[in-house]
Amino acid sequence: MLKTVPGKTDTQAVSKQVQARQKWMTAALMVAPFLIIYLLFLIYPTLRVIQLSFTNADLNGSGRFTGLSNYIKLLHEPTFWNALLNTLYFILLTVIPNTLVGLGLALLILRLRRLKNFVLAAFFLPYVLPVSVVTSVWNWVLDSNFGLFNFLTGSTVTWFQDPVWAMPAVAFVTIWWTVGFNILLFIAGLQSISPDIYEAAALDGASGARLFWSITWPNLWPVTSLILLLQLIAQFKIFDQIYLLTTGGPFDKTLVLLLYSYREGFQQQHGGYASTIGVVLMLIILVVSAIQSKLLNRGNAA
Amino acid sequence: MRRSRMLALGFSLTAILSSAASAQTTVVFWDFFGGGDGARMKTIVDNFNASQKDIVVNRTTQTWGNPFYTKVHTAVVAGQTPDIMTYHLSAVPAGLQKKDLRALSTADLALAGLKITDFQSNLVNTLTTDAKALTGTSNIYSIPLDTHTFVVYYNKDLLKKAGLIDASGMMSPMKSIADMTKALQTIKSKTGVVPIAFSSNQDSATVWRLWYSLFLQQGGSMFKDGKLYLGDLDTKGKAALDAIADWTKQGLLTKNVTYPASVALFSAGRTAMMFNGNWEVPTMVDAKAKGTLKFDYGIMAFPALYGGKASTWADSHELAIPNNTKTPMTADKLKAVMTFVSYVQKQGGMTWAGGGHIPSYLPTQTSAAFKALQPNVQYSATAAKDATLEPNVPIFGVGGPVYDAVGNYFTPVLLGQLTSDQGISKFKAALTTFNK
Repeated sequence: MLKTVPGKTDTQAVSKQVQARQKWMTAALMVAPFLIIYLLFLIYPTLRVIQLSFTNADLNGSGRFTGLSNYIKLLHEPTFWNALLNTLYFILLTVIPNTLVGLGLALLILRLRRLKNFVLAAFFLPYVLPVSVVTSVWNWVLDSNFGLFNFLTGSTVTWFQDPVWAMPAVAFVTIWWTVGFNILLFIAGLQSISPDIYEAAALDGASGARLFWSITWPNLWPVTSLILLLQLIAQFKIFDQIYLLTTGGPFDKTLVLLLYSYREGFQQQHGGYASTIGVVLMLIILVVSAIQSKLLNRGNAA
Repeated sequence: MRRSRMLALGFSLTAILSSAASAQTTVVFWDFFGGGDGARMKTIVDNFNASQKDIVVNRTTQTWGNPFYTKVHTAVVAGQTPDIMTYHLSAVPAGLQKKDLRALSTADLALAGLKITDFQSNLVNTLTTDAKALTGTSNIYSIPLDTHTFVVYYNKDLLKKAGLIDASGMMSPMKSIADMTKALQTIKSKTGVVPIAFSSNQDSATVWRLWYSLFLQQGGSMFKDGKLYLGDLDTKGKAALDAIADWTKQGLLTKNVTYPASVALFSAGRTAMMFNGNWEVPTMVDAKAKGTLKFDYGIMAFPALYGGKASTWADSHELAIPNNTKTPMTADKLKAVMTFVSYVQKQGGMTWAGGGHIPSYLPTQTSAAFKALQPNVQYSATAAKDATLEPNVPIFGVGGPVYDAVGNYFTPVLLGQLTSDQGISKFKAALTTFNK
């Protein structure tokens, strides 16, 4: 903080200093609400989780320091590896499909002459719904005995209770729920491509698929890579839909990392161990997103 | 020093002022009763609030099961607990391990005009056993409210068609698994409905209750010499699982049905029986009174299907005070809480029994009014005798990890996704891990 120097005779310098201080104060006041909330609800809990991961804490947060034992236990625990594989499987089922579906729908919507906004709103609507509503709706639609889907198709698959179908079913619901946001980003990206480029390409005789691959796709790449990154981070943190639709079953086939952490923390009061899972997940997300952004940027440069 | 004294003075002044202003003690009460018994508890609380002016009970119903116990534990840790709450006897060992429960002294009970000997003795014994095992004392940590167990609801109209109703107008209990299977096959062929409504979709609790009952009836146990015991699971545990899986496979038991759907199927007359807890009694009573239940129903205690004991899964709802060490309860608050407890046990006892439960407070349990209460009288005497509580290990009980393991490894066996051998061995492995 700036200090006014007492006894200084040059009034102009003093007033300048006061002015600067006021400016600084205004800036600090405007940033403070964000900064306080950020420090209190993000940085502090993060540091606490890291600290807890080295203890045998209960949920009340007071535990004995146990060094790396939680991490060693985690790496030797088959359930952890199972949860990690399931999380990766879920990512495989959602990240790229969600991006492709979003791109496809965005291209289609832009081609519409009428009702464009209406169709866009229709696709975006599920994204506005809370997760509990989304899962309730699909729980009924895909119910094995009374569900609309099985009624219409005559199928007897128990979608959310089937070891093979549970994860794809959750992935499908997730895509249905979140694709609207991707469509919106893609539309913004598509509209920001200058029509001049298309015109020039058309003059050169390009059309159809050629136009898409040579003009749209490369020009859209910054948006696509952003969506892929956002998707990757979001899907690593999968919890709500799994908790509400399958609770990890059948026989842990849909157990994902955060659900594993929840079970350890809130059902068995292993606060320290649950924190360890959280820290490991955080590290994985950091590493993977760093690699991904590096790879995608290189693709862009080439 | 001085500042803290000033603060303390300030706080006590505010406290005096606020209490003088309201002149009422508010008692915050958490429960987990969402169904028909929730309506009964609401009646009790409303009546209590109307009966006097000094105490207002503020009731909040939380989500049953694990969410409730997680919430209680975090409330205790944060020092912001309700003043009184419901609890499951099966969750007491875990509650003691987490230090969520406040001990209740003889003097505390006396505030409610109660003695621990006023309550059903096996429940009290379980409480003291749990306390000894986990705290080393024989304190009482909760007050039993009821025993609730697993019963068989049946549709008399459909069973008459199948020829299973005897001269007295009741269904006679089946005596063995084979007997039961035969009866169910008869129902299926004569009436065309799925014989039993049974919930297993996103509901491990019901699967656990049926499996545990069949396991107990063969003399199985998971608790030996004060420790978790897995020796009976490969034999008796597997047999119990096979029996249920076989009924599902033959289409004698509804497959992959959620809890509300199972109750709806039975109430709509689309199944001949329902295996469920006695807490659905008010649903039947209310539906019959409103005329929405189109058939005559009966209820019987769960039958002995292995020729010997009729042991059946049971649990007990309790009233307990959270162990709030950060802001301990004042004497006035305690008095108000115990006044409410007294009301629930004494004046509310019969209303609560209307929820299908068997009251633990002996004066109510032995009263002529309870002994004549319909439809409870059809099952409660036998059910009370057969009631067998969950193993006294913290991993068991409502909200514990074992319910998860059941959903994860037993339900797939019922759906034909795992063999019973795989199910049992995965279940055993899970219990071993939990108990570490």
